[in-house]
Amino acid sequence: MIAIQVTSLSKAYGFYRIFEDLSFDIHPGECFALFGPNGAGKTTLLRILATLQTPSSGQFTIFGQDGVAQKDAVRETIMLIAHGSHLYDELSATENLQFALGLRGQSPSQPQMKRALDRTGIGAFADLKIRQFSAGMKKRLDLAKAILAQPQLLLLDEPYNALDYSGVALTNQLILETLERGGTVFMTTHDRDKATQIATRGGILQGGHLQLISSEQLTTNAIF
Amino acid sequence: MLFFALIVILVFSFSFSMDQDAARQLIAGIIWVAFTFTGIIGLGKSFTSELQNDCLESLQMSPAPKGAIYLGKVTANFLFMLSVEILLFPLFVLFFNLDVIEAVGTLLIIFFLATLGLSAVGTLFSALTVQIRAREVMLPVLLLPLAVPVMIAAVEATRGALNGDPFSFYSQWIHLLVIFDIIFTVVSFWLFEFILDS
Repeated sequence: MIAIQVTSLSKAYGFYRIFEDLSFDIHPGECFALFGPNGAGKTTLLRILATLQTPSSGQFTIFGQDGVAQKDAVRETIMLIAHGSHLYDELSATENLQFALGLRGQSPSQPQMKRALDRTGIGAFADLKIRQFSAGMKKRLDLAKAILAQPQLLLLDEPYNALDYSGVALTNQLILETLERGGTVFMTTHDRDKATQIATRGGILQGGHLQLISSEQLTTNAIF
Repeated sequence: MLFFALIVILVFSFSFSMDQDAARQLIAGIIWVAFTFTGIIGLGKSFTSELQNDCLESLQMSPAPKGAIYLGKVTANFLFMLSVEILLFPLFVLFFNLDVIEAVGTLLIIFFLATLGLSAVGTLFSALTVQIRAREVMLPVLLLPLAVPVMIAAVEATRGALNGDPFSFYSQWIHLLVIFDIIFTVVSFWLFEFILDS
């Protein structure tokens, strides 16, 4: 089954067209990196795939489920790590994990959460409220969420932002683990060097059109 | 919320301090003005924690039925509003010298039903207005016209109970509250998914 199948997808805000007629497939076990200049529509495309926005025309399916008509089924398979972090400032790291995973119908045990927090390097701050977290720590908590949730499709919006060297390595490790268990990763990024280390395929979104990049082109940097 | 309600009680109690008969005629309306506007302050805050860090998106992306999220929010708002009302009501009794011993049970039922109606429809409009810049203004503007039937029924039933009228004299207002509660809860439950996804 194809993980992401996008067919003639277009998005416009009024008369302003963000992108049009995008078509591509992403298979399980692939990590797709979407590049492009600011305002090209990378995050908009990611948010459409995350079922947070609806396309103006065209269709997309996630693991065979229609992304517009079968939103709830799609939402069971995906997880989005975005700029907003989706964390409640007044809750602690552990409480945020419990709540976020509870919304997905999962209930991790205390030892599981502790292991995930330790792995992401924020185990010592498990009981600290999120309002005291730095941007990098919030990002690491998002990674802990993904470690526990183990989604089939991981959607990452600028995953390397605000992360130090070990955070980048941790992100790449999480992506590798997702791919190893047959999952799929779709990321938007400006960080070509870091993304090409881990992505198996990619694309450049520019001027409303998508230019696909093969794994060979990614490895040799031939397209950039 | 509590501070606002205390100010309302104090202002009205001083306004009617010279005329206890007038106060007794108007007390049901004063109680529900205080309860409703205090409740609106609370309802306006019910989704503000989701504004931080785009948490509204996490509710939107949850595969859980959106109705469950709605019912959770309604329950929280209802319990919060009812708790404030139970704290405030003794102050009304004290400041307006009300004799409520025989009517306490009926008044609690009226408070329960009217608060449920207000929180059912208020939670929906709170979700609708949470992302609007002027949400503090828009929430009462949208909510109050819809809440008027609940408020009228609550005022009439409360007046009947406080006056010591036989239950059959004002029971139709309590029936009306039950009907509004059912309509508001069912319709809001159904609409919540569309509001959260839009």
